[in-house]
Amino acid sequence: MSEQLPAPGFDAQSYERPNQGWICGHAGEGKPCRLGPDHRGRCCATAECTPVLEIKPGETKGRWRCTRSGGVCESGPRPDGSCCRPIARCSPVPTLRTRRGQLTRAVVAATVALLLIGLGGSWRGTFINSGALSTPHSSAAFALLHSGTNQANQTCTACHPAGARGPSDLVATAWAATPGPFQLGQLARARPGEPTALDASCQKCHPNHRLHQPSVVRDLSCSFCHAEHRGTGPMAAPTDAHCTICHGDAGVMAAAAIKGASLPPASESALAAGSMPSSALKRTETATDSRTATGFTQVIHSFAQDHPEFRVHTDKLVDPDTLKFNHARHLTSETIPQLPGGRKLDCNSCHQPDVAGSYFRRINFERHCQVCHSLQFDPETPALTLPHGNPALVSAFLHSLPRQYADLAARSGITRTAEQNQFAQEKLQRWQTRVATGETFEQRVFFSTATTGPSVQVGSVIGATHPPYPGCAYCHEVQAGAQGQPEITKPILLDRWLVHGAFNHAKHSGVACLKCHSAATSQATADVILPTKDSCVTCHSPRGGVVDSCATCHGYHRKDTK
Amino acid sequence: MPPTPPSIERPQRWDAAFDPAMTEADVERLLAIPPFSQMAPENFPKRTPLREILRHDTSIRRYRQGEIITRQGDYGTSAFLILSGTTRVVLKPDLAPALLGRQAPVKKGILRTLAQLWGGRRPPESFQRAQLRPNAGVGARQNENQEVHVFLQDLPRVLDQHRTEEMAAGDFFGEIAALSRMPRTSTIFAASDTAELLEIRWQGLRDLMRADDQLRQHINRIYRERALASYLRATPLFRYLTKEQLDQVAAQIEFATYGDYDWSGEYKRLAQSGGGRPEKEPVIVQEGDYPNGVVLLRAGFARVSQKFGQGERTLNYIGAGQLFGLDEIAHNFQQPQAPVNLQYSLRGIGYTHLLIVPTNVMEQIVLPSLPKSELPPLLSPAAETRPAPPAGPVPSGARDRIGADTLEFLTANRFFNGTATMVIDLDRCTRCDDCVRACAATHDNNPRFLRHGPTSGRLMIANACMHCADPVCMIGCPTGAIHRESFAGQVVINPTTCIGCKACANNCPYDAIRMVDVRDPRGEFMVGEDHKPISKATKCDLCVENHGGPACQRACPHGALERINLNDLTALADWMQR
Amino acid sequence: MNRFRRQFFLGSFLLLVASVLAIMIHCRWSRQLPHYAYLTGWVLLVAMFLLALYNARKRLPFLPLGHSETWAQLHIYAGFFTVVLFLIHLNFRLPTGWFEGTLAWLYALVTGSGIAGLLLSRVLPRRLATRGGEVIYEKIPALRHALRETAEALALGGETPSPTIAEFYVRQLSGFLAGPRNFWPHLLDSRRPLNALLSELEDLRRFLNESEQATLDKLTQVVRQKDGLDYHHALQTTLKLWLFVHLPLTYSLMICSVLHVVLVFAFAGGAR
Repeated sequence: MSEQLPAPGFDAQSYERPNQGWICGHAGEGKPCRLGPDHRGRCCATAECTPVLEIKPGETKGRWRCTRSGGVCESGPRPDGSCCRPIARCSPVPTLRTRRGQLTRAVVAATVALLLIGLGGSWRGTFINSGALSTPHSSAAFALLHSGTNQANQTCTACHPAGARGPSDLVATAWAATPGPFQLGQLARARPGEPTALDASCQKCHPNHRLHQPSVVRDLSCSFCHAEHRGTGPMAAPTDAHCTICHGDAGVMAAAAIKGASLPPASESALAAGSMPSSALKRTETATDSRTATGFTQVIHSFAQDHPEFRVHTDKLVDPDTLKFNHARHLTSETIPQLPGGRKLDCNSCHQPDVAGSYFRRINFERHCQVCHSLQFDPETPALTLPHGNPALVSAFLHSLPRQYADLAARSGITRTAEQNQFAQEKLQRWQTRVATGETFEQRVFFSTATTGPSVQVGSVIGATHPPYPGCAYCHEVQAGAQGQPEITKPILLDRWLVHGAFNHAKHSGVACLKCHSAATSQATADVILPTKDSCVTCHSPRGGVVDSCATCHGYHRKDTK
Repeated sequence: MPPTPPSIERPQRWDAAFDPAMTEADVERLLAIPPFSQMAPENFPKRTPLREILRHDTSIRRYRQGEIITRQGDYGTSAFLILSGTTRVVLKPDLAPALLGRQAPVKKGILRTLAQLWGGRRPPESFQRAQLRPNAGVGARQNENQEVHVFLQDLPRVLDQHRTEEMAAGDFFGEIAALSRMPRTSTIFAASDTAELLEIRWQGLRDLMRADDQLRQHINRIYRERALASYLRATPLFRYLTKEQLDQVAAQIEFATYGDYDWSGEYKRLAQSGGGRPEKEPVIVQEGDYPNGVVLLRAGFARVSQKFGQGERTLNYIGAGQLFGLDEIAHNFQQPQAPVNLQYSLRGIGYTHLLIVPTNVMEQIVLPSLPKSELPPLLSPAAETRPAPPAGPVPSGARDRIGADTLEFLTANRFFNGTATMVIDLDRCTRCDDCVRACAATHDNNPRFLRHGPTSGRLMIANACMHCADPVCMIGCPTGAIHRESFAGQVVINPTTCIGCKACANNCPYDAIRMVDVRDPRGEFMVGEDHKPISKATKCDLCVENHGGPACQRACPHGALERINLNDLTALADWMQR
Repeated sequence: MNRFRRQFFLGSFLLLVASVLAIMIHCRWSRQLPHYAYLTGWVLLVAMFLLALYNARKRLPFLPLGHSETWAQLHIYAGFFTVVLFLIHLNFRLPTGWFEGTLAWLYALVTGSGIAGLLLSRVLPRRLATRGGEVIYEKIPALRHALRETAEALALGGETPSPTIAEFYVRQLSGFLAGPRNFWPHLLDSRRPLNALLSELEDLRRFLNESEQATLDKLTQVVRQKDGLDYHHALQTTLKLWLFVHLPLTYSLMICSVLHVVLVFAFAGGAR
């Protein structure tokens, strides 16, 4: 006995039968019965032989004969014809393979059962949800609106008609889907963004949500840009790919231009609020609002690559404002006095961010100009200033000049009326030496723009901390009215120029203003000192490394919910 | 009362007559003509009288001109005696296969193939009764009424393009194939329109020869002449000889037979006594002796060995058609001044039949006819490295490729005999039994082999019929139930005619045949009228009825199982290094 | 280069090429095709179905359906390829929902068990062959039983039973011979339990006389054979056990995949 393993000892009468699923229960003791279990694992054991009744010619009863394999047994069959050597019955043992089959069937049954439970019960919404919904669609308010409960997982039907259907209806719905499960050709050929049945569900809550400009040739599916079931929070922002699917396609854009040409110009409205109507703009050329032959927008693949220059530059727009303002002087002149507190005048002194920080508050005389331009028309009496805002008021002020001086005296601590009047008289006598008549004086106050010469006498305060006040016309456009009364043209203050795109100044706080806005060299009010596209591209391009997606500046949906 | 067991008639030796149409008159006619008229009936044993042999083991067949009687390459189990008319034997060149009307063996039809899907429910070893009833459909292989005669389409052209030889009444042929279990050596067709032949199946021929000395000598003589004539013609060594030279060679060739025709019993005894060692086998020629001649193996196998230490180690084994000793004789022929002796020993394994071409014949006739380039290279016995063994089934290097112990293992177990040995690579085999299941699925839910057997290293020779080159199992089958398929030569058993005598199972040296007790489709054991279970010999049939070849080999997912022809070790070496 | 290595390199190369192609197609088309996920889903489902067909091939050995080895090779490499398809179908993201998470887990378990099975099928047979000896799995209980009877006869029977050996047998060996033992040590190729038992047997020797020592030698041999049997049992069981995960879960996966298709088409209605 030096073998690794005991000799197997095979029966010369039979083969090993691993193809059979059951093994005789006696095989473990090395004594399997000759019959073996059947294919269902039932023991077939009866007896060692099945005796045969032999009736010889002439006999009537016959004799039972043993048919045992391996020789007739000693005692022979019983008188009733049964074998006298019964085989002990066994419990057949399943092979590993049979057990595997049993396990497989059990697992299949369990899978089906679990799936039915998952699909049938109130779990269903949670079970088959492919991912968490965005915050708005998973809110309690949404649930209340659509299913009357506050259970977010009960709201499938709000968007999916199949949400409430049973198994066979589910299959039918799947079969009826467009494109259907087996319409592989359509699945492969479908163009991106085609509207789907699901969009109707979106539009139940988002009606009149204009998709884009009216010149759009074909509608896009909501789900093309907005992927739901991608986790809580707001839905993910669409990407450039969604925009360039049309904007990068020359054919689509050409078709859009043709369609746009047939639409009334007004329908092509601005997207952003708070912008000035374009008719307010004065133009150096006779540019109109009508679109060009190819439409406003050509094929665009990316900002840096083929986004057109801003129209403010291409159309050479000018600032229509009537105020005279010289950015360069305010920023660079040596003679500009410092602000109270010793601060030097800079951009922030006047351009103060709005609440959101994206844009700037409108320039306002009281907040931004008056601290320097205090309208001190009398060089000898700087404390007395003209009122601002209404030429009629200014006229009235001038006509009541003695009263104003007296009031000034009262404010400066002279309490007795006689002394107040005397102070006013002295001041008026000083004026009479400088100007011929009151008429002239009023004319100068309104119309003079001189900072030198004889008329400088009115309002000039040489060497003072405040700038001279030559007259209203120094800043404003002042015209004589019908009755000769002065009229001041109301300044036109534009809040935004690039009304089709959004911009956030707060996000650019790291960049000096002058880097983009050429304020230091702009002397004329008409200058629109906006950066060019190239200036933006410096950073907003793949090379610049700063995000350059369409959505950075542009929105898709129209805000006018008519 | 218990149910009566299913019972059928137990098949007997002559239950299935070779030709049921043989009449008493036919037998009388045969007894009146030679050689049967010259036989003494009293020499025949009681159980097999001459009359009964003629009655049951022979058949009178009539052929018209051009009809093929035996086909070259067929494994036939009968010999023919020409009664009247003439036949012609095709000598050279061989007939094209298409001319011989070769057809694939009967494959299972679509319905039978698909029916196997439900085979898993069948009880083990169950048969339909009709399958076992003698002369039912499947027994028709030997039924002459259904035999298809194939004839040569364009006889004049065949006669024009092929050299043929005429044979006339009284001539015997086909006994080579019938008795030596070798494929037919030549194609023979009827040359006259009324050729009448007596076909004797080999069991009958055997019994006749056993009882009649004259016939035995006669058949032995023509057997050797014919075997030699066709054999020498096909041996490459003699292809430059003229007919006269060939006749000279044939005249001087010596015959030798080692071992027993029925060698398996002896081998089994040898194996039981721990044998299989080269020293115990009969020496054909001894290493170091003077080379008396070139040995040509005619049938069987022989071991090439070499002294190593106190014993001998196997270098190779050679089978039918291989030469031994040519290198030494050629060397001595070219360099008579520095003669060498035999470099290796040759020992017969089991039954070995060989021809010896004497050295002087070689030197005077054969070697001078060979071009210089075809002479074997000179030997250098003094050199340290011995020359490679003679070109046998192991090409040089194959021994190294399969390893010495594996070669020893194959030889010791006589596995070289197998033409479709089931070899399992234990390094790859996951013991999943897919092969056995596939086998069962193709054989009515019955496996026909055992996935177990002798191992050597990572090699396992599974217990499955190897379809031996020398199928000893076929000796002694009383009814011819075990036979070779005529086309591809698989050894198969016809369950209809098998009488369960265990002769084949006992003969098989590899225990590849199992006797199973058959059942009916309900799973009850069948018993004969003698109240004993009916058993049948079963074994691998190489899926002869199935499409796609052996199912076991195709079912192995890991390429671990292959049916390999071990007659040629190249295939094994290639497979082991795959 | 031999066949197995050629197969390996060819398979790996084709797998690599197919994977790279698939990823290239993914990069090129995933944004262009609105129904890309549907298409990759179908491809994945068909691929999984083809993989599962291998089981059908195994059940139809009598049909000329090609060599099982070819199928196995295709199964292996196509199986690896479905990993790429699977990742592409998931767009290289983790699934979020419960059901889809289950589906992904099922896929991962089926693939993982397949890879484990592949490794086991390549490693364990070699170890079995190296250890030597061969046994048919279904025969193991009978052989174990026979060994136990032999050992019992040696230790407890005989003409002059040795109390020392009998005591040792009852204390140590009867439990060892009662069933399969030391599954994990055998799987990890550790001979420690055998060596411990053998050294205990050796320790016993000094208390025995000559005839008892002869019995002990025979018992030792029985113990070695039982250990060999356990080794075969452990490894052959493992070779079959991985399919206990791979196959049942494959059916689960197929069922869930079909439901997934139904749900996707019923709910998404063609949307992305």
